Amino acid sequence: MRKVKFTQTNFHEKLSTIIEEFPRLDDIHPFYGDLLHVLYNKDHYKLALGQINTARNLISKIAKDYVKLLKYGDSLYRCKALKVAALGRMCTVTKRIGPSLAYLDQIRQHMARLPSIDPNTRTILICGYPNVGKSSFINKITRADVDVQPYAFTTKSLFVGHTDYKYLRYQVIDTPGILDRPFEDRNIIEMCSITALAHLRAAVLFFLDISGSCGYTIAQQSALFHSIKSLFMNKPLIIVCNKTDLQSLEGISEDDKNLVEEMKSEAMKTLIGQGGEPREGAEVLLTMSTLTEQGVIAVKNAACERLLDQRVEIKMKSKKINDCLNRFHVAVPKPRDQKERPPCIPQAVLEAKAKEAEKEKKRLEKDIEEENGGAGVYSASLKKHYLLAHDEWKEDNMPEILDGHNVYDFVDPDILQRLEELEKEEGLLQDQEDDEVEMDVEDLTPQQQKELAEIRKKKSLLIREHRIKKSTAESRPIVPRKFDKDKRFTSERMGRQLSSLGLDPSKAIERVRSKSRGRKRDRSTDHDMDVDNDGSNKKMRARSLSRSRSRPPTNELVPGEGFKDSAQKIKAFKLGKKSVQKRNKDAKKGVDDDHDLRRGWPVMTEVWMNVGGIKKIRVYDFESYFLFGRFHVCFILVSCYTFLNLWIFSDNYEMIFGFISQSSGVLSFSCLLFFLVKFELHKYESHFKLQARLQPNMKWALQNRRKT
Amino acid sequence: MRLEKCWFCSSTIYPGHGIQFVRNDAKIFRFCRSKCHKNFKMKRNPRKVKWTKVYRRLHGKDMTQDTTFEFERKRNRPERYDRNLTENTLKAIKTIDKVRFRREETHHKNRMKCKIAKERKEARKELDQQIHMLVAPGAKDIHLSPAKVTVKVQHESTNENRIEE
Repeated sequence: MRKVKFTQTNFHEKLSTIIEEFPRLDDIHPFYGDLLHVLYNKDHYKLALGQINTARNLISKIAKDYVKLLKYGDSLYRCKALKVAALGRMCTVTKRIGPSLAYLDQIRQHMARLPSIDPNTRTILICGYPNVGKSSFINKITRADVDVQPYAFTTKSLFVGHTDYKYLRYQVIDTPGILDRPFEDRNIIEMCSITALAHLRAAVLFFLDISGSCGYTIAQQSALFHSIKSLFMNKPLIIVCNKTDLQSLEGISEDDKNLVEEMKSEAMKTLIGQGGEPREGAEVLLTMSTLTEQGVIAVKNAACERLLDQRVEIKMKSKKINDCLNRFHVAVPKPRDQKERPPCIPQAVLEAKAKEAEKEKKRLEKDIEEENGGAGVYSASLKKHYLLAHDEWKEDNMPEILDGHNVYDFVDPDILQRLEELEKEEGLLQDQEDDEVEMDVEDLTPQQQKELAEIRKKKSLLIREHRIKKSTAESRPIVPRKFDKDKRFTSERMGRQLSSLGLDPSKAIERVRSKSRGRKRDRSTDHDMDVDNDGSNKKMRARSLSRSRSRPPTNELVPGEGFKDSAQKIKAFKLGKKSVQKRNKDAKKGVDDDHDLRRGWPVMTEVWMNVGGIKKIRVYDFESYFLFGRFHVCFILVSCYTFLNLWIFSDNYEMIFGFISQSSGVLSFSCLLFFLVKFELHKYESHFKLQARLQPNMKWALQNRRKT
Repeated sequence: MRLEKCWFCSSTIYPGHGIQFVRNDAKIFRFCRSKCHKNFKMKRNPRKVKWTKVYRRLHGKDMTQDTTFEFERKRNRPERYDRNLTENTLKAIKTIDKVRFRREETHHKNRMKCKIAKERKEARKELDQQIHMLVAPGAKDIHLSPAKVTVKVQHESTNENRIEE
């Protein structure tokens, strides 16, 4: 029940808003009423609204009936059916008024775009044939941007602009052109302007194209004028002759002139009809040109003036003025003597006024710009109007930055003076500096400095040697002294070093020599055998050295050594070193240093397991056993598989490719497994080893032992 | 166009470099490069960061008060252009720079004076203590800082030496 009611209220609401929102043609200003009639056809409009109204009532009735029925519904099913029926009927009603709703929607959209014309305010109406220049006129005096095009009926509807005159706002309405036709034949666009003319109380500017460039002669235009002059009743009329740049008023033919005079006289009639005295030279006929903008302002002023006068007259005549009249009071000071006191105008103003009359048009920046090539080419010099002490400074480019400083931060009128002070200060400081140069601690003499340098050199040498030794400690072999290649431990060397230190080395050398036993050969020489020979001579010969002690750098090629070039020599040395390195390292290795961590491969080591304390069995390292045994099997299997497949599918290439990818997958998987095992299984090593130790009993061990 | 100072390290920011950060209280922080910007974002205090100018000034490493600094002041009122004044200003900037540089050098030298004294003392000590690298303590006939060390080995010509020669 509620649902039905709810839907009904919704519909009611919506339809009511529609009906209320649309203006009733009788209630609005006749101008708008007529305009709407012209545009949308009054009958049609009323009909549509009426339909909606009936629909609304229908829906209310439906709802009422069904609600009543629902009250007495016995079962839920019955109620639901009733509800469905009610809603359905309402929907059908709405569907029927669909087209009129669409029509109203269109009207609504169009109405929203109609110009907002206040029928009661001061209005100026522009009318005339098409293409005479009405829209250009309105563009000139107001800010309205109406389309101006060479073809007729550019303006299809009314346009509004606003202009100011004597601190009052005037509406200026531009109408579409009117053709000279009987009333019934007129189309909607013309009817718009006719409506405006009929209903708005405005000053009318009838536009006349003197030159005939609109496509219609003056005769046609005057004919139009006469046909619609009934509409100009009680309205201040001004006849405007446009396009005087093409054809001046004086230059037209006699007939045309006569016609124009006729129109003028008509216009004068309206002037008289206004109630004002016909002033000589009153403006009913004006000439202007919208292109050169000659006379445009004059026309506007004349129209505004006329309108204002008319409105004022009417207001004066009406009763309302009496209410306000007693509020006005012009206070005039009472004349106390016969002295004339005219208004005081300062001389300068009079002179300026006089000058203004003869002043020519000022040369604007815009003109300069146009002279020098237009907007894109000429750029105005902004420095032209600078007020500087000398004019030639105007074009100076002042630097803003110098050496990482902002110049503006330093600019100071007294900068010279301050600079002088600074210089003085600086001079003083310099003198002070020269005075205080003493130091507590004296510098070393040059000789002392040389000594110090030598000491430091020796020390640095020692340190460097030590560092080299330290870094090569691992791979350097510990060579016994008798294989001293560099001859670092000879007694001569010692002697030299000691003497460079300033000591007498002879005693030391003697002592050293006495302690060394020399070569066995020499030692075992029988003194009896060679009596004649001097033992020492033999020793001397045996110890003779055929080569000089000084050696060239190791990488340099020495001719007698048998190398092709220095590169080969270097390589040979490297190879030699490399071959010795491993053994050097091994020489220093301990028991636990067995694992070659760099290689990463598990080492197949044999571990002697103590079983039961008596016998030892040889068990391979867990990891290596597992891996090597199983891995080999896997590899064999996989290779067989690949070989088989290749053999089977050798003729079919696609299958081969498919198969290769498959096999590579398998291989990669197996590699994965392998690496996994390698890296992960060592975690469980200890666990397994323990198990292996715990598991086997004597029997198993004895069975599986290998004869040692 | 203005050259600004980096808020963190106080170096000049040339046009086209760095980042400006405007806080909600409308205070503008300008940074010369992302290093300063990142340090700022880490909420580091430039007074405690060793390589900034603020730190150096605060800890007396660089000159703080000087008349040359008073020449450079941000003036908010623009002066009417005067060619002579501008010329003088440009020349003055150069001389002021020179003066300031000289003064900074003296400041640095004064700061380093103690170090020189210390160095000399250390050198002297080293010379005294490590002279044994050049001359053995028990050596005779050796002057303490001679140009060359006279060697007495020559007159002790043994058989071996004779053969070598």
